[in-house]
Amino acid sequence: MEVGLLMLGAGVAAGVFGSLLGLGGGTLIVPLLTLAFGLPVREAVGVSLVCVIMTSGASAAVYLEREVANLRLGMVLELFTATGAVVGGAIAFLLDEHLLAGLFTVMLVYVSVSMARQRQAAEKAPAIPSDEATNATPTDAPSEPPPAATRATTAVGRLSGPGYTVRRLRFGAAGSVFAGILSALLGIGGGIVKVPLMHLAMGVPLRIATATSNLMMGITASTSAIVYLARGGIDPFVAAPTAVGVFLGASVGSRMAHRIDVRILRWLFVVVLLYTAFQMARRALGIA
Amino acid sequence: MTTAPPAAFSEDRALELAIARVLTLGTYVSVALLVVGTLLLFAAGQSPLDPAPVLSPAALLSDVVALRPAGLIWLGLIGSIATPAARVLAALVGYVRLGDRVMAGVALAILVVIAAGVASGTLAS
Repeated sequence: MEVGLLMLGAGVAAGVFGSLLGLGGGTLIVPLLTLAFGLPVREAVGVSLVCVIMTSGASAAVYLEREVANLRLGMVLELFTATGAVVGGAIAFLLDEHLLAGLFTVMLVYVSVSMARQRQAAEKAPAIPSDEATNATPTDAPSEPPPAATRATTAVGRLSGPGYTVRRLRFGAAGSVFAGILSALLGIGGGIVKVPLMHLAMGVPLRIATATSNLMMGITASTSAIVYLARGGIDPFVAAPTAVGVFLGASVGSRMAHRIDVRILRWLFVVVLLYTAFQMARRALGIA
Repeated sequence: MTTAPPAAFSEDRALELAIARVLTLGTYVSVALLVVGTLLLFAAGQSPLDPAPVLSPAALLSDVVALRPAGLIWLGLIGSIATPAARVLAALVGYVRLGDRVMAGVALAILVVIAAGVASGTLAS
């Protein structure tokens, strides 16, 4: 029972910090389960995917209710993330455990550097989230609906929203396949790819890109999780306390977000992530 | 004086709200099952690191009825994994009703990809 409570607590901590810092569950859960509880990386990825689905479900609902997420664009892109997830799920079971740990190390370093750069740019401009927001009840979404707008009549035009026009859809589709593959390999929602892709390449406003990525995360992670489930890659006894903890933590974190100055926390977290990346690298090299 | 939004816009909005309800319901029911399953697991003195029973559709119902931790946890996990697919199914129905063939086709294609994921995982295991 002690181990179960520790897993629940680890899930709560991952949910709180993930929610405060805009990190997805996988970024924190996979190293926690691997390094602290000794789980194989692939098994930790399977559990992490469940956590991603849980946190995305509640927050995506709120984003839809508040008209922040673009449902049409999200559905078109998630067709490609889901395809990538099926491919990635198949690849994940072919890859060596050390290689998976190595890939995760690269992702952790990338997220750390992104967070450090966010810290530097925070004073001047709104930062691009380093991964998908996991808020169970987002508090930063605008509560007022967008102005009533007439919708374009063409299929591509109807993917756009009030005040912005979606562009480079083919590029977005290709990037979404990549996001799906990453999701299945690393147990993440894929927001580290999808948010910059939609915002910087496709012309979607950052807040809408973040919310739409969150909506897409459910399908991306669940398609990956289905492959893991079918291949016996999800341990129910580990997944349950961890997912419950992450869900509770994300709910608490979203309520704390507006009361806490996350700048110091973010800096601290950069150090923690780099240390975690070092430990994962040792595992990848077979010396841990 | 405010202008009434176009009919298609209102119908899209209704669909978004319906989908939000599917997501909320699916997520909270799954969480509830996982919470009860976790509490039963702790009450039974089992460690999450103990070998867990594999998913057996035949035993699932009896495990749930008997309040065995594994049954409730598996049902919660299946519920959480199936919730996004249920959201796509709701979108498919909604877009068919709206007569939006393109988006209905997109929703159907997503469900086909998910089914391909089930097939590829099952065949490989």
